[in-house]
This record gives sequence, C-alpha cells and structure tokens, in this order.
Amino acid sequence: MTTLLTTQSATDLPAESNAQLTIQKLSVVLQDKVILSALDLSLNEGDILGLVGASGCGKTTLLNAIAGFSKPTKGKIVVDGHLLSSNGLSDGEHCVPAEQRQVGMIFQDYALFPHLTVKENIAFGISKLSKIEQLEQIEQLLIILKLTDHSDSYIHQLSGGQQQRVAIARALAPKPKLLLLDEPFSNIDARLRNELMVEIRQLLKQFKTTAIFVTHNKDEVFTFADKMAVMAQGRLLQFDAPSIICQQPNSYQVADFLQLGSWLPCQVNAAGAQSLLGKLDIDNRSDKKDSLVYLLVKPANLLLNILDDENTNAKANAQVEYISVTEQGYHYYLSSLDDAATDKSMAFDKLSLYSDIALSLKQQVAVSIKPHDFLFFNNNH
Amino acid sequence: MIALYNSRSWKLSSYLIALVLIVPVLVMLVGGVSASTQLFVHLWQTVLPSYLENTLLLAFWVVLLALFFGVFSAAIITQTNIVFKQQLRWLLLLPLAMPAYLVAYLYTDLFDYAGPVQRALRGWFDWQSPNDYWFFDIRTLPGAALMLALVLFPYIYMLTRGAFEQQDQNLIRASRLLGLTAKQSFFKVALPLARPAIAVSASLVLMETLADFATVQYFSVNTLTTAIYDTWLGYGDLGAANALASILMLLVLFVVLAEQRSRAGLRHQSARPNLNRELIQLSVSQQFIASIFCWALVILGFLLPLTLLIIMAVQYSDVAQLSVLLSTGVNSLKVSVFAATIAVVIALSLGLYQRLHNDKYRKIPQLISGFGYAVPGTVLAMAMLSTLGPLDHWINGVAEFLGFSAPGLILSGSLFAIVFALVVRFSAIANGTIASGIKQIPQSLDYAPATLGVNLKGSLAKVHLPILTPAILVAWLLVFVEAMKELPAVLLLRPFNFETLSSQIYQLISDEMLEQGALGAILIVLFGLLPIVLLNKSKEKA
Repeated sequence: MTTLLTTQSATDLPAESNAQLTIQKLSVVLQDKVILSALDLSLNEGDILGLVGASGCGKTTLLNAIAGFSKPTKGKIVVDGHLLSSNGLSDGEHCVPAEQRQVGMIFQDYALFPHLTVKENIAFGISKLSKIEQLEQIEQLLIILKLTDHSDSYIHQLSGGQQQRVAIARALAPKPKLLLLDEPFSNIDARLRNELMVEIRQLLKQFKTTAIFVTHNKDEVFTFADKMAVMAQGRLLQFDAPSIICQQPNSYQVADFLQLGSWLPCQVNAAGAQSLLGKLDIDNRSDKKDSLVYLLVKPANLLLNILDDENTNAKANAQVEYISVTEQGYHYYLSSLDDAATDKSMAFDKLSLYSDIALSLKQQVAVSIKPHDFLFFNNNH
Repeated sequence: MIALYNSRSWKLSSYLIALVLIVPVLVMLVGGVSASTQLFVHLWQTVLPSYLENTLLLAFWVVLLALFFGVFSAAIITQTNIVFKQQLRWLLLLPLAMPAYLVAYLYTDLFDYAGPVQRALRGWFDWQSPNDYWFFDIRTLPGAALMLALVLFPYIYMLTRGAFEQQDQNLIRASRLLGLTAKQSFFKVALPLARPAIAVSASLVLMETLADFATVQYFSVNTLTTAIYDTWLGYGDLGAANALASILMLLVLFVVLAEQRSRAGLRHQSARPNLNRELIQLSVSQQFIASIFCWALVILGFLLPLTLLIIMAVQYSDVAQLSVLLSTGVNSLKVSVFAATIAVVIALSLGLYQRLHNDKYRKIPQLISGFGYAVPGTVLAMAMLSTLGPLDHWINGVAEFLGFSAPGLILSGSLFAIVFALVVRFSAIANGTIASGIKQIPQSLDYAPATLGVNLKGSLAKVHLPILTPAILVAWLLVFVEAMKELPAVLLLRPFNFETLSSQIYQLISDEMLEQGALGAILIVLFGLLPIVLLNKSKEKA
C-alpha cells in the first residue's frame, strides 16, 4: 500500500461532550503579528498532552492564553464546562481573570517564591482553606513528593530536581482543573531528566490531572505524554497519540520537525516514482500529472551495496559527506553525485545511512531503497 | 508575556505623581524665561557675566582636578602592585562622605594667616609680617575648586575602577601577545575602553559642582548658586532669582544630555573580568610616588578633616552644644524621615506600576520622577517658592472669601516645601534602588500568584513587597542620608527659626564658629559614610 499525503492543516476536532479542555478557533494577534491562528484543541480528563514545535511557533502563547496571561483576539476556551475566555464568537465577549481560572502552571524557572519556605510555597494557593485542611494537604504532598525533610528549607537550599518537585506540589495543592507546564524539564540535568519525567507522569496520573506540557524536545513527549500536538507558525499541524504521529505523520513539516527520516526527492507520474537512487514501484495513480514529491526514508530502508568488480549492476550514486559513530554503527550523511543530476531539484544532500562498514569522507557508494510502504510528501516550503 | 494588570486608579495616580514632581520646575522655567527682557539686560550688564564666568571656570577646574585624582588613583589600584592595595581600595571612597564646605572651612582654619601652619612657619623662620613671605591663599576660585575636587573625585575613582575591573582580560592578553608591554596595553586598550565610565563620572562631578553652594559662598566666589541665594534672600527679587535659576537649570540640562550620550557607550563592558590580571610592577621610587599620591588623597580628603573635627569636638564640646545638637538633630530627622518615606512610597508605586501594567508608556512616570536629581538644590528651592507662593496666596484668598481666617503660608512657609523639594531631588535615588530590586525579581513570579488563585493585591502583599524589603530599606536609608546632608534647598526654604543639622553647621561656618558644631559636623560625616559602606558592599557582592 502506498500513501500519498499532502501538507494540510490538522483535521477539525469535534468538541467532545466530556472534554476537560475545549479550545475553538483560538487566534492571538500581537502587534500585527499572528501568533496563533484559528486553533482547535480538545482534551479529555486525565490526558497529558505534549505540545512540540520550533521556538516561536506559538506554544507558549497558547499556554498563556489558557492561563489568562495573553488575551485572545478571537476564539473560545472552556475548561471543565466553565467558559474562561470568549471573543468574537457567538458567546459574546468574556474573559475570566487569571486568578479565577483554576488553571495551574509550572514555569520554566519554577517561579518559586524565594522569601518563603517549601511549606509556605505549597500553602500559597490554598490560604482560603482552614489551617487544619492546609496542613493535611501540605503534609500529603510533602510525602508524595519526598520533600518531608525539606519542608522548612528555603528554595535556594534545594537542588534543581527538588525545586521542581516543590513547583509541582505548589501547583497541585489548589487542585487545578488543568495544569500547564512550560518546558518543565529544560533546567534539569540530562541524566536526571528521564527519571524525573517518569516520576512526575505517575504523579499526574495518580491525581488524574489533565495537563499540557510544552517542550522543544520531541523525545520528552514519548516518555511523558499520552497525546502529542505538533505546532508550526501558530497552527496545529497534527494531534494524535505519539506513536501514530510517528508512523503516520500527516505532513512534510511534521515528519521533518520530528526527524522521522531523511528526504529523497522523487518525480512521480503515471509510470511510477523516479529518483536518483532508481525507480520505485508504486501503485498506479489516477493523477497523471508529473509532480515533485519527497520520500521519507528511514535508515532501515536504505541499503548499502558493495561496489566491486564483480557486482557490475551496482553503480555509484552517492557519496559520503559526514561521518560519526553511534551505538548502531557508523552514521553517514550521503549526498547525490555532482554530475548525476541534470535536474537539480532531484539532488539530495543529507540522506542518513547507518552501517557497520567503514567508509571514508567523499567515498562514492551505491545505495538503494528497500521496497516498503512509501511515504511521499509535498514540501510546500 | 503581556503585563498582567490594568488598574486605572494606579495608572492615574502614577501620572499624577510624576506631574506633581515636575510642575514646580516647569513653573520656574516658564517664570524665568518669560521674565522681562529688561531684567535680563540688566543682569547681563551687571553681574551675570562674572557669575557665569566663575561658574564655568570653577566647573572646569574641579573636573580637571577630579579627573586627575580619580583616574590616576583608579589606575594605580587596579593596574599596579601598590602596597596596601586592599585598604586603599575602599579608603579612597571615603572623601565622598565629607561635605566640601566642611573641608573648605577646616583648611582655611589650618592655612590662614592666623592658622597653625603659618604660625609655625613664622616661628621657625622668624618672619614678622605677611610681607616677609608668600603663602598661597586658599580662599580663591582655584582653592574652592581644589576643595570640591578633593571630595568629589571618588565618583570618578569608583566608576573608573569599576570599568577597569570589569574589562575583559582577554583583550589585555591579546594586546600583550601582539607585542605591547603592560604599560602600553593600559594606555592603548584599558584606558580607551574605560572612557565611557570616565565621561559619566566626570559629568556627575560637574553636576555636583554646579549645585554647590556653601563652599563657594564661604570662599566668596560668586557663582550662579550664590547669586540666586543673594538675589532672593538679599534683595527679595524673585524674578531675577528665577531667571538665574533657569540659566543654571539649562546648564545642568546640557550636562545631563552629555551624560546620557556617554552612558550609551557603557554597554561595551564585557564578560570574563575574573581572569587573573597581570599587574604593572612598580619600581621602588614609583611605588613611593604612587603611595604618596593615593594616601595624600585619602588623608587630605578625609582623614585630616575628620581628625580636625574630632579635635575640635573634644576641645569645645559642652552640654549646651549637645542640647542644640539634639534639637536641630530632631528637626533634621523629621524632615529626612518624611522625605525618605514619601520618596520610597513613590518609587514603589511607580516601579511596580511600570512592572505590572499593560501600558505602552508605563515607563514615563518613573522617568519623569527621576529628573529631579539633576536639579541643584538652589534651583529647586526657587521652583518651590515660585510655585507654592502663589498657591498660598490663592488658598488665603479662597479662605477669606469663604469667611475663614487666612491660614498664612501653609505650603511655602512650612516643612511642606522642604520635604517636597527633598522628595523631588532624591526620588531618583529611591527609584534607582527600587527599580534594580524589581528587576531582580524573575518575571515569572509576577504570573505565579495568579495561577494559584491569588489576585493583584495578594500578590503585592505576599510576594512583591516581601521580596523587595531589602531594596526598600536601602532606598529609604540612601534618601534619608542625602536629605540629612542637603543644604541649599533647606537654607532657602526653611521656616523662620527652623534649623537642621546642616543649616546650623553652615550658619556656624559663616560665623567662623564651627567649634560650636563640631559634633554635628562629625554626625553628618558619619551619616555620609553609610551609603558608601552600602555601595561598596553591594559592589563587592556583584
């Protein structure tokens, strides 16, 4: 089976009735710049959504709009059945102040209050409860987050991981209906990060907290989130389970951002697909027009053929441009040969190849594509 | 992220405060500029040229001397292996605590014909009369310049030293590798790089010189400040005093503009200051000269005057003096506490307004409220008089019209005018301290309270003000000390028979009777030391 997908915006998500968070047609324009454009999103109770995208794509603005720190130009935000913000839609204009939204947030720098102890930080958002209730809740959170020994410490006396746990305890104490996490792991030592992510995920699941976390590191999403959303230029490109997005990226941008493989330009017509690495067999297409598309090539589907005197079939069609060593053997980037392409648009320059065979820089090699479910994309950029 | 709040009453009061702070000076400028041309012609034909000449000459000499003292001492401390460097480093800051008029008085006392120095010389050489020998006269324009430079050079020393210490040592290393000696590197790399800092500090010295009143008055050097004082208190001519104050104000504005321009260059200071610096090794004779230079500044600018004061205090202090000191001290305290508290409240209100509000022009109130620091005390006093005087008349008129008895000069003739002037003059200090405190609060702390269900009021009470407490204390203390020391504005604005510590000491100096107030003078010097200690401490921390 072969799929041919084109760049398209995310499919409109119907607002589910049991959704904990519903966002409709959300747009934010700041100083004549469109930061978010007509974004739709919906999350069920207990879902953890990982929001990825290049910096400046609008992730943080989306969080700020939900938290009430950024005023939407248009659109609607509903959390747990409460209308938080509405503008330019049928519901009229409405904006709940940030402090009344019951939306919690964990900031990139944690934003812990330096003049308060751990206990006082956690108590900050629940001062309306009775003293006994406060103490009970703080005690419980201290135990769960393994902070009991530090309850009277000041923030600067804690390690980065401990500080983050305080931030989580503080955010969870008022039992927010939705928790927003802004790059929560970016300040954590890489060696501790995985452990901490697993720990916090368990915690959020234990509290059945609906959460959105923003990251520029796609790998964090797979460990931490149930759902994944890929954003670019203020739009939601794809929204699904992480595993599905990896297998079936819906656009060139999604596959490229997630680095799901490397790109091989192909000329597609009724006869099939032609590339500098040979002809690819695809099903007949109704579309007879010639078009340039890009094949997503996963390293596993790229074969290295040995060039020697006996194997006359194999002709060199690529050369080595970059070499590094990984646990899967040598990693090479291949480019097309200079003289091979009469049509420059067919040339490739960064085809990823893993092999145990040692090659040298600029060495010419013959590679071919294994038959598989080809994924072609248009690149509209 | 966007700024969080949009409190309309806060916005209104911020602009109102800024307006109130700037209005008196505007009123004075309008009054000065619209003064009849006849008046200007008269001033120009009589005293103005010599006043202007004296003012500019004094400024020139003070800046020149202060640059010589300040840049060289900064260079010696940072670039050479001078002995007692650690002590000299902070000792050189101390003259800043000495009011110039005190130094002027003490040295006049010391070097006068009847002073101990000339007496001793006459004794040794058996001279009989002034005709037998030449001795420099300290009560001249160059003498005044020297006195001012002796206590103002630490501005230049402090900023220049900072600039040298912040310099990227790799630049110096690069110049050494390119074949320059340590000394050549200093003149070709380090000194040019420090130029913006030197320019900024020189303009500070210039502003202080233009604002000086007591020193030149004591030395009978007629500058614009003394002219303003004499025209108003001597001849009661408000129009002419206003005109002179406006001219002085314009001079100061030029300096401020120049200062702003040189500040733009300050950004080039850069990282890696902590690398080991290679010091210029002084030969024995160089070591000797450098030591004499630095110690002379410390001794002449601080230690000697303080010692003279202490000797005076020990010799002449009695109970009567103490009781006078107490009553004037309480007056000073009253004025300074009011001024410091109001200035800090204003600084907090404007600083947090700028931080938390979503207003395109939110910086403006704070900017405006900080301008007063450049305004000399005499000018400010004239501004108060020309604004509050008519206001008082109006209030009295209204009161009489309504059938009440006239309340008198309740604004211009009371502490209100002094406190108002002090707040305008020193708001910039409070602003700066509070603003840098606010800057150190991470932006995310503005947003965190809202995500925990806490509103603006709660956030201010539970987060911002507690975190700012140290900055608030420092700001309060700095304004308090400056207000204690301020002289010209107090002299012109004080109600009848109202003496503060500084005005009393000035009075005693004018009457050549400082002995009577030596204790108070020591107190003023000690107060002056507080901000230096604070400044030095925060510098060391940074």
